[in-house]
Amino acid sequence: MLDWLDANLVSMVDGVAYGLLLFTLAVGLSLVFGMMDVLNLAHGTLYLLGAYAAYALSDGSWLGLLVAVVVGLLVGVAGGGLLAALTQPLASRGHLDQALLTLGIAFIAADVLAAVFGSEVLPTAPPNGLTGSASILGHNYPVYRLAFIGIAGALAALVYLLFERSSLGALVRATVADRDMVRAGGIDTRKVMFGVFAFGAALATLGGVLGAPILAPGPGVDETVLVLSLVVVVVGGLGSVPGALLGALLIGQVQTLGVALMPAYAPFLLFGAMLVVLAWRPDGLVSLVRRA
Amino acid sequence: MDARIRRPQRLALVAAAAAMALTACGGGLGSEADSSSGPVKIGLLVPQSGVYKSLGDDMKNGWELYLDQHDGQLGGREVDTVLADEGETADTGKSAADRLVKQEQVLAVTGVVSSATMNGVVDLFETGGVPLVGSNASPTTLTDAEYIWRTSYVNDEPGKALGAYVAENVDGPVYLLAADYQAGIDEVEGFKETFLEAGGEVADEVYTPFPTTTNFQPFLANLQKSGAEAVFTFYAGGAAVDFVKQYDAFGLAGKVDHYSAGFLTEGGVLDAQGAAAEGTFTAMNYNHDLDNETNQEFVQAYEEAYGMKPTTYAMASYDAAQVLDKAIESAGDDLTSETLNAAIGEVGEIDSPRGTWSFNDNGTPVQTWYLREVQAADGGMANVVVDELGELG
Repeated sequence: MLDWLDANLVSMVDGVAYGLLLFTLAVGLSLVFGMMDVLNLAHGTLYLLGAYAAYALSDGSWLGLLVAVVVGLLVGVAGGGLLAALTQPLASRGHLDQALLTLGIAFIAADVLAAVFGSEVLPTAPPNGLTGSASILGHNYPVYRLAFIGIAGALAALVYLLFERSSLGALVRATVADRDMVRAGGIDTRKVMFGVFAFGAALATLGGVLGAPILAPGPGVDETVLVLSLVVVVVGGLGSVPGALLGALLIGQVQTLGVALMPAYAPFLLFGAMLVVLAWRPDGLVSLVRRA
Repeated sequence: MDARIRRPQRLALVAAAAAMALTACGGGLGSEADSSSGPVKIGLLVPQSGVYKSLGDDMKNGWELYLDQHDGQLGGREVDTVLADEGETADTGKSAADRLVKQEQVLAVTGVVSSATMNGVVDLFETGGVPLVGSNASPTTLTDAEYIWRTSYVNDEPGKALGAYVAENVDGPVYLLAADYQAGIDEVEGFKETFLEAGGEVADEVYTPFPTTTNFQPFLANLQKSGAEAVFTFYAGGAAVDFVKQYDAFGLAGKVDHYSAGFLTEGGVLDAQGAAAEGTFTAMNYNHDLDNETNQEFVQAYEEAYGMKPTTYAMASYDAAQVLDKAIESAGDDLTSETLNAAIGEVGEIDSPRGTWSFNDNGTPVQTWYLREVQAADGGMANVVVDELGELG
């Protein structure tokens, strides 16, 4: 048992890092879909925008990272607001029209980004002091990923508290559950929805800025990230912060520990996990912790 | 929670997650082009967009450099280069090749980066009777072609070149790790062929899903667990950058010797990998530091023209121009696609920057292979030839 732990410890730690990265991406997608009923297939593009911002602005200094974070957040809020405004007129026309619109935006953005940044994967260096490797019980592990676990963990806790424990969060949850009732209470639900869209998008771009040294920006990364986020949302359950967290952490482990234990089945593990969860808990893992 | 609203949403999600990629293929016929005097039309089929664009740029550079050095002429004839964008997939490549052969009626075509495109255009060139002097893609399955030549190398040759060397120089089991697509499998099979014959011991053979794998941590953890002395890998492009950086970050660099096919550290990817690549060994048919006169002149001219060192892709494209130069000249006045193809078969020895080579019966080069090591050099990293791996082809 101890040998097994020793051999797989790094994979499990990496699964947490990967899972938290997925959480920053999936939570926005999950809330926007759960709440506004908008299927935003341009969500991966937001990650890519953040990651390119990190590549272009961070020069290894802490100031550079700070600038990248601020720019990333601004881009996220603006991008989220724009996507919300564009999808608003399609609200009554179903998921297919939304999917086509947002997918079109994603394609255009991908081509523009490829024209600006080229077709190579652009590795982004972490800030000084977080480069290199640390030793976890004798195994090398990149320092930046450890720091990322700390930061993204704190971020996840913050998002959780905001949505589950604050009155603002209660308003958002109420809007997810029954939009008309909230509106009847004299609250402009459109403002709430724009706010959530912008917030979710900003989290995704922030994930891109902080995640660039782990998952570097390049053509196709937006799709990779989108598919992973969609799987996390399916596995975790729609419109729920704890669901997105559970789903992300599970998929993180599936993609690291699962692959390490069963490398031959690596191509099937991701969707296999989704299939099992769908069959077992069709409403996602969140139904385990919350009954309604 | 309202389950009635959730169900269609979930369906849409699952559908969106599942349906993200689709490809198709088709077949076609070619036609013939001929002329007796005046300019000849040659098609240059290289990616001008997509993930292979940088390879396409290198190949375009190599081709143009040769033409610039020869007053825009091949075999005494003015050359009109028709550029076509191969794109990223077999579909885009095939339609571009179709346009060159059918609409532009070119005399011959050169280029082709991706093996998928190459597989897709075999019929077009074979039935159309138009010679394709390919300068990169060369899948192992492409044999017995009459009109398709390659100035590069067959996909499994980097692996074949390394196998015996690694078996003799590594004291212990070797782990095999490659991207799970045709080129990766070809490379590992080629490696095993000569490696096992020379008495090498395989620790394990693992393929990583392509192109979905960006986090190699679990595979590297297994490699570390296996206790292998060395690893042989195949990665190219963005995956090569991710892999090499993570190989260093997870502490394998310097502990487990890393051998790979040359594209791992060829061209732009090496700049992106930076210091993480130091000490990586690769097999390639060319390197910019080869010590021969043709190469020194080539490297100097290339650097003057484009401000960077030539890659094997640029060199193979340069050689394709040279092959066509000699063949067009020997075909003489009666120049058609048919006579040109016959002349290519008789072209003999090519005095290339990589050293002298000639076509074998399969239409690929018989050439010397080199072992290169990534070393720190004037501010960056560079491939340096450290040994010869013998002749293949």
